[in-house]
Amino acid sequence: MLIAQEFVRPIIDWHGVAPELTLLAIGAMVTLVDIIWNEKAQRIIPTLTGLGFLAALLPVLTLWSDRDELPRVMWDGAYVVDEYSLVLKGLFLVSAYVVVLLATNYMHDGDYYEGEFYQLVSASVVGMLVMTSARDLISIFVAIELISIPAYLMAAWRKRDLKSNEAGLKYMLMGVFASALMLYGMSLLYGFAGDTRLAAIAPALRSSESIPLITLAVVFVVVGFGFKVSAVPFHTWAPDTYEGAPTPLTAFLAVASKAAGFVALMSVVIVAFPEQSGVAEPLLWVLAAVTMTVGNLIAMRQTNIVRMLAYSGIAQAGYMIAPLAVFGDVPSSAARAIVIYLVIYAAMNLGAFAVVITAARKTRSGEISSYGGLFQYAPGLAVLMTLFLFSLAGIPPFGGWYAKYQVFLVLVEPATTAGYVLAAIGAVNAVLAAFYYLSIMKQMWFMPEPNGDHTRVQITPSLQAALAITAIVTLVTGVLPGVIPDVGDLVVALP
Amino acid sequence: MLLNQFLLLAAVLFAIGVYGVLTRKNGVLVLMSIELILNSVNINLVAFGTFNADVSGQVFALFIIAVAAAEVGVGLAIVLLIYRNRRSIDVSEADMLKG
Amino acid sequence: MIDVIVFAISALIIIGGAIGVIALPNPVHAALSLIATFFGVAVLFVQQEAHFLALVQVVVYAGAIVVLFLFVIMLLGVDRAQELGVEPLAGQRAAGVAVGAVLLALVVGGLFLSGDPDRGGAVALTGQSGQVVPTVEGEQDVIQLARDLFTRHLLTFEATGILLTVATVGAVVLVRARGAEDLILDEPGTAQH
Repeated sequence: MLIAQEFVRPIIDWHGVAPELTLLAIGAMVTLVDIIWNEKAQRIIPTLTGLGFLAALLPVLTLWSDRDELPRVMWDGAYVVDEYSLVLKGLFLVSAYVVVLLATNYMHDGDYYEGEFYQLVSASVVGMLVMTSARDLISIFVAIELISIPAYLMAAWRKRDLKSNEAGLKYMLMGVFASALMLYGMSLLYGFAGDTRLAAIAPALRSSESIPLITLAVVFVVVGFGFKVSAVPFHTWAPDTYEGAPTPLTAFLAVASKAAGFVALMSVVIVAFPEQSGVAEPLLWVLAAVTMTVGNLIAMRQTNIVRMLAYSGIAQAGYMIAPLAVFGDVPSSAARAIVIYLVIYAAMNLGAFAVVITAARKTRSGEISSYGGLFQYAPGLAVLMTLFLFSLAGIPPFGGWYAKYQVFLVLVEPATTAGYVLAAIGAVNAVLAAFYYLSIMKQMWFMPEPNGDHTRVQITPSLQAALAITAIVTLVTGVLPGVIPDVGDLVVALP
Repeated sequence: MLLNQFLLLAAVLFAIGVYGVLTRKNGVLVLMSIELILNSVNINLVAFGTFNADVSGQVFALFIIAVAAAEVGVGLAIVLLIYRNRRSIDVSEADMLKG
Repeated sequence: MIDVIVFAISALIIIGGAIGVIALPNPVHAALSLIATFFGVAVLFVQQEAHFLALVQVVVYAGAIVVLFLFVIMLLGVDRAQELGVEPLAGQRAAGVAVGAVLLALVVGGLFLSGDPDRGGAVALTGQSGQVVPTVEGEQDVIQLARDLFTRHLLTFEATGILLTVATVGAVVLVRARGAEDLILDEPGTAQH
């Protein structure tokens, strides 16, 4: 057999892929520890996984300190490590660490499979790290699946609970369907470019003679990602899955998994679609406006706090899509605003979930009415929840206001009617959202405890740590917004 | 061979798959319909790859086949789990969660 | 000419199989028609000289995936017609037809409206014949595929490895019984709620 061309060993930039490899090694180690020591190791596995996320943060920091070398372009431009991807890698690792802190007691007390749960979380986070650097349709697709498939399994993790099973089934069927639609769009994009790299797709979309088919490709890809970020009208899985899944996993889905969807959406839209912003922008505009409005309107009617947070998360996703509705004129500011929003959203939303999980240790309930009297028996918790809710509502001086402010700045920057109208819709929605956040506060501060039970809430050390981290980040980003590192421009060129 | 004939065939297969996902109520059959969509994607990718004289399309199709196997495995595990706890795998009966 | 005949026959098998999947009431029959579709697609791959992919299509799809489907169907014992008789959500079938038809119209319309108007307009992207893959003279598709897979897509390849591993681990955890408490496939539904 004739081998016409010798195989050339690819050059691998080991430093560039060090975060992924570190996390992978830790995941493998957790698996081994779990297998060898089994029951005896259950106590240390969460700690080990958490430390693993922090260990994977080290190479991210060294890469950041070595910024002159950036961007590191690997594999013919299919994989890029730049400031944008490093900031997001940091975000994912820290969020995952907080999720592990939230899960520690929950998984142990609930008598669920523990070791495997943390392995699945680690695998999902490896997918997120890959996603931040992926600039190629194939790696974006595989990263999305690597994030989602462990999540489908974990959503059904409470095996005895029909609600959890249903959560897993719904999430899985919707997620797989969304991937299939997205793939159809991707196959068309590949057809135009003859190349799977995003940077090669952008110039191929310049031709105007294939507008109808390009439109279809863009629509399918955006719809596929719309499912992942739970944008209306593709959000129907989210509240059910959030309510049925184990609560720490819900926090993971609502924050990390959603952020990963946004990273994919941002990379594809900003790098591959600039030549067709006329097609993508109106679509994203409608998606943003509908998502924030519908999310808020339904959130008002919820009586279960996890469902309420799910719908509020949908509304927040609307704000995060909004900058993409004007990305054609201001691609860099749009990306910057979304990354800032993602960082702050992660802190405040994880914080709110931390309070929900802590309170549920006493109340055993997710109903908003069970929060009555929280201030009397757990003043600290009530104050923290107030902080997170103020931030979610966008009230200064907590992080949320700065995130929303950045979004509004981007929307008015190109000075187009579409941008102004969307900003106005966003402002109206901010007022709407304040209502339901305030109603929880009223419950906590002024209503009596429904059962008259005033025993204190036991806050475990890991939950204390989670609450402290999220509260500090929420406060600091609001007071000193400059601490969020600048993400620069997305690298769009081929090597 | 014309590129169009492959694209049209894939379009028909795609539409049939979407119809199946929307109307089938049995979880296993919904997964099968999703496989139809993935096959239409593979037809597209290989045809485009041939047309552009580029092998990436085939590589993409290969990844899709591998991931589809994982998706089906996970999907059937969840179906099996839910069937254990409740006798039916009718998706429309999964309605404990409402809102 | 022979190309067109082969294409027409496999297209008929693919579409016929697909209709079987969405229309047959018995899940076992649906799974068997799925095999027909997979084989038809494999023939198309061979026709375009994607031999390795055709092999994978048959081994993984027709071999592994359909067997998995059949295995679960048999395990659950739902091989009798258990749907199509009832329609809990009124109008869902109509909605499915509508959405499917609209998508088909959109994609086909997109195909025909795109392309260079000078060449008749009714050509998708182009109406030229596609060339077959081998770009390097005399090199087989599997060699090209491997080169691309293990250079540009190396990291993705590894990520797929992790994906398959965790999918297996997770699926085993979900379905395995801890102790003997819930290994009751003969009488499902009796598991603790």
